[in-house]
Amino acid sequence: MKKVILASGAALMLTMGAAQAQEKTLTISVYAFAQDEFKQLVYDPFEKICGCKLVVETGNSVERLAKLEANKANPMVDMAVVSMADALAASRAGLIDKVDTAKLSNFNKIYDVAKDPNGDGMSVGYTFYATSIAYRSDKMKIESWADLLKPEYASHIAWPNVTTNQGPPALYMLGLALGKDTPDLAAPIEAVGEKKGEIVTFYEKSSQLVQLMQQEEIWAAPIGRFSWAPFTKLDMPIAWANPKEGQTGGMNVMVVTKGSKNRELALQFMDFWLSTDTQTKLAEKLIDSPANKEVKLSDAIANNLTYGEETAKSLKLIPSAVALDNRAGWVKTWNEKVGQ
Amino acid sequence: MFQNRAEALALALPAAFFAAAVFLMPVAILLSDGFRNPVGGWTISAYTDFFADPLNRTVFLRTLRLGAIVTVVSAVLGYAAAFAIVNLEPGTKGKMTGLVVLPLMISPVARTYAWIVILGRTGIVNQALQLVGLTDAPLRILFSETAVFVGLLQLFLPLMIISLISALENMPKDAVPAARVLGANWFQVFWKVILPLTKEGLVIGGTLVFTGSLTAYITPAILGGSKVLMLETLLYQQVSVSNNFVSASVIAFILIVMSFAANILLKRVATARNKQRVPQ
Repeated sequence: MKKVILASGAALMLTMGAAQAQEKTLTISVYAFAQDEFKQLVYDPFEKICGCKLVVETGNSVERLAKLEANKANPMVDMAVVSMADALAASRAGLIDKVDTAKLSNFNKIYDVAKDPNGDGMSVGYTFYATSIAYRSDKMKIESWADLLKPEYASHIAWPNVTTNQGPPALYMLGLALGKDTPDLAAPIEAVGEKKGEIVTFYEKSSQLVQLMQQEEIWAAPIGRFSWAPFTKLDMPIAWANPKEGQTGGMNVMVVTKGSKNRELALQFMDFWLSTDTQTKLAEKLIDSPANKEVKLSDAIANNLTYGEETAKSLKLIPSAVALDNRAGWVKTWNEKVGQ
Repeated sequence: MFQNRAEALALALPAAFFAAAVFLMPVAILLSDGFRNPVGGWTISAYTDFFADPLNRTVFLRTLRLGAIVTVVSAVLGYAAAFAIVNLEPGTKGKMTGLVVLPLMISPVARTYAWIVILGRTGIVNQALQLVGLTDAPLRILFSETAVFVGLLQLFLPLMIISLISALENMPKDAVPAARVLGANWFQVFWKVILPLTKEGLVIGGTLVFTGSLTAYITPAILGGSKVLMLETLLYQQVSVSNNFVSASVIAFILIVMSFAANILLKRVATARNKQRVPQ
């Protein structure tokens, strides 16, 4: 028995020693998406440079924001990547600090639209994406967002649920097409509600759409450009629509948590992620479209991403404040008109 | 075996403590959220609010309806299958029981994804319907209550069959021949002999199927999606999309109550029939 106690005591001391040697730890909170690639292209190389340990927390934005809020007094996470609207929500809730952009050597290399997306200095854009319609070009012609609801098409489309990131932007564009683009999205939600029986499904995960498209269950769906690549591999004529109202989309941003004890390290990590080298590698693997204007991509790669400052500028994004102030109302209207 | 009750209780203590610490207490804390008044004290306003919303009422009734239909249909099919299996040669019986259990060894995710292919517009069901001329254009089955029903039935029917097989095996072998000799037709044999003698199995199977259908997540999520919300998919939406833990706690409590109610109801139905038969 004594031997066992001695051995476990020794083991405990060894682990403690190891923990002390690894003094610097940076905790980041990111989307649970392409983590194998992120580890290989971003996390591992950064750990080598900083000589620190990176702890990665993943989850969807709601879960991760709830966690930030719960640990507000004693923040566990040092930096997080979230959507523009969630960054504003975090800022209003007093969870994040201003980003000290003077410490980001790559800051001047990123597109102007990404430098301070919410205009409050609390976030820096690192990637953005277009949202448009993926459709079977042999079955239909899409010239406007409203075309999706045409009687001959409506029973062959999937529409993003209002609770997804693609839901509100798609409704916003439908509102523009209908000529009724109020912030409450009442008209487009009503229009979708009228067709709810015909629309195949209100999707929550875009990964599901590839199978539905392959099985000819659907011919079209509004999607984010980041989920476009698998569609191009299907043996079907699938096109990316360029509707006359334009394309919408979203931008993901980096934020630093208020009260983080590793601020310098967090900024060093953000700078590394924004560097031309890292952004190029992530783009080449079709993971994130670059926000760094020095990134040069081949046409083949660029075609699968949202590439270039002109494209970025042309996206019709819902302003964060509008999204935040109306989100609850959108879900309520949606549940009344579409949910039942 | 034990010298006194205290000794027996002492032995049960660690397990009881474990169950209380890692199961009962967390569940109680979780469920109490639904009754907590944000300004202090207790209230049932979260429950009245929940049922005031027409969407929630629709989802509640749909869950109850689908659960009940799946349970009834699996009982009907289950009796037929179990009766056939029990009357087989011992060797064949083992193989058939194995076949019934086999789907339980395959992940529900894989099974549910297979239904997407089978029930799709170009799937085998629609091809067959078109071939025999029952329909001209492919029917839309996916993302409907029908799809969820089919998925849940396939998921839980084995549990009903297994419960009924063991109940039928415990039935006296000569009960059915005796009833037949005394002139009962097959319906009477089932209603007056088999059903009363196997009701325990039916209560267990029914509770498993009904509770399973209420709490299944993957099948309604994949085959029904947000068009056919059930309480379980609504619960997930409340937690992971709306971050509304109070509403989620309300749904969790409703699900628990529904499961207990189903079990009590089934037991009562069974004992009520029993009392009728006792001669006064």
